Amino acid sequence: MSDGDRSDEPDGGDPESGRRPERSDGGADLEAAASGSDATASADESTAGESPESGAVSGGAATDVAAGRSAADEESEIDEGSAAGEAGATTVREMHLVSTNHWVGVATVSFLTAGLGVVLRSRPLFLAAVVGVGYLAYANATEAPEPSISVTRSVADPDPEPGDRVRVTVTVTNTGDEVLSDLRIVEQVPDAIAVVDGPARTATALRPGASVTFAYTVLARRGRFTFEGIDVIARNVSGSRERVLDLATAETTITCLPGLDATDTVPLQGLTSPYTGRVSTDSAGEGVEFASLREYHHGDALSRLDWNRYARDGELATMEFREERMATVVVLVELRRAAYLQVGEDGPHVADRSIDATRRLFNSLIATGDRVGVAALAPDDVWLAPGAGPTHQAEARRLLATHPALSPTPPSGRLYVPGYLKTLLSRLDDDAQIVFVSPVPDITSAYIARALHVRDHPVTVVSPDPTRTDTPGRTLAAAERSNRLASLRRAGIRVVDWEGDERLAEALERARRRWSA
Amino acid sequence: MTGIEITRRPARRSLLVSAVAGSVATTAAALGSPAGAMLCLAGIAVLVAGVATARHGLVDGGGLVAFLGVVFAATEGATAGPVVFGTAATVVAWDAGGNAVSLGRQLGNRVDSLRVEFLHAVAGAVVGLTTALVGLVLFRLGPTRQPVTTLFVLLLAAVLLVVALNR
Repeated sequence: MSDGDRSDEPDGGDPESGRRPERSDGGADLEAAASGSDATASADESTAGESPESGAVSGGAATDVAAGRSAADEESEIDEGSAAGEAGATTVREMHLVSTNHWVGVATVSFLTAGLGVVLRSRPLFLAAVVGVGYLAYANATEAPEPSISVTRSVADPDPEPGDRVRVTVTVTNTGDEVLSDLRIVEQVPDAIAVVDGPARTATALRPGASVTFAYTVLARRGRFTFEGIDVIARNVSGSRERVLDLATAETTITCLPGLDATDTVPLQGLTSPYTGRVSTDSAGEGVEFASLREYHHGDALSRLDWNRYARDGELATMEFREERMATVVVLVELRRAAYLQVGEDGPHVADRSIDATRRLFNSLIATGDRVGVAALAPDDVWLAPGAGPTHQAEARRLLATHPALSPTPPSGRLYVPGYLKTLLSRLDDDAQIVFVSPVPDITSAYIARALHVRDHPVTVVSPDPTRTDTPGRTLAAAERSNRLASLRRAGIRVVDWEGDERLAEALERARRRWSA
Repeated sequence: MTGIEITRRPARRSLLVSAVAGSVATTAAALGSPAGAMLCLAGIAVLVAGVATARHGLVDGGGLVAFLGVVFAATEGATAGPVVFGTAATVVAWDAGGNAVSLGRQLGNRVDSLRVEFLHAVAGAVVGLTTALVGLVLFRLGPTRQPVTTLFVLLLAAVLLVVALNR
């Protein structure tokens, strides 16, 4: 609720500004509590008692964590309750000391003023120059402090659903014995997630033992994200020098697994395993759909005899049905650098759509009883051998959500395509067919699809469409892609062209109708 | 569903310290000469505009013009008190402005940095006031027979000392 209020206001810092002085007072209370003032201590306890367990949202709970640590003997149960294994210790990854050049020029101005004072015989001007020299001394008297701080970070929900807003609360405590008069703190939010409320940064002054708490909200998306660092800038009191630090903190992780939602039944091609399943084959045997009649052989099941024919002309005949078999499918998702395309400036990332489609296709195929595996066409190796059952499904869910190669940021490495094809082909079962999820961004994708298809692994391409036609260049790109898809169709590969604003199920249904026609 | 953007400029509240210190400087200059006060006011206006738009150049330029206003007031016959306190107030305004701009550039305008800025400004003001008071007291009690040139050489020595100590 407070989130809503805050994001509505352009001047969103207001609710926090009311709280921040309290926090510094909290530091004062803390000292009083440590020195044994009963009144303050009991007040602290009552506050902590009221805050619910998940109350890290309020930001107050995390302050209590820090309080609990310093005055551990008094509030040990709170410490255990909400600190939850987060050590606050930090290590310096990088530090450099720079001059801010803030006071540069004051010396010159002071000199000129003094000179003018001499020329004009003006004592007031001369005294003004003395003030300037005073500032010069002030600017150079101190060095930027070397901060010794601990950082405690807590997230309201470490396992959010995609789209959830997750409140992250950070408490920074000055553990050194130097006063940090000007401390600027910038949280290192993982690249792929967006901060939707509250700045993930703060500025404060900390006495030894005092702490500051700030909170911000991130929007959860598929993946595992680790908060592991913080940037700190510590200036001396005059602001002439600053120390810039990159601190490694204890790791806090958000793991966001998408649900088990599936799409419509995925149309598959006729290559199947010997096991009973749902894909109708051309081979006749036991099944549902009528295929043919043949002469009765001794031992045929009575239920399959054509009794009508027997009644008509006294001959025994056995009905045969299309056998329905289980298919082995590998969903291959294209995640080469070329496939990281974005629709427009603010549109969805097509790689994200591909991964989402992979997940839905996988769940749908698992639900229809097929054996499904996952592979990614990416520099990093991603391979989940075809399988079935809930354990396999859970494993795939985890892999699709958290594998680093499936992150929303493009890979840095390059993929050697012939080598990859060789590896993939050696892994594929003979009866495996491929569902290739790819925007078909270049000729390489089309080549891969064809290469698999001609090696007896029928390929169905599910292609999220990243193109637009609002400029001539984009129209050309769209035409090129459509040509590539057409060439794939000519090669006998089934192509599902999945447009940007279409649901996957609709695209599949549209394609199925075309294929059956 | 994109995240919030960081606006890299100081928050509105950050203008306050510079504006208050600047008006003190203007008042001090006004005790000397109206023209000096006008110059000082113009400089402060530029300075505040520089803070609002996060431009170091404008802050520095505005601070210099404001100080020139105080200097002008001194040449027009302002007494030592207003000149010295006007100088200190100008420096505080400029210092607070520069600090606000650096905070704004590093952290954006949604960070509540008032506490840090206030601390910085107070430290600057204390230094200015102390120096000004010491200067004034020496000015009143000290040997007035010394020619200004002697004092200038002494001041030069002090500056060289400060610089040398920091090498």
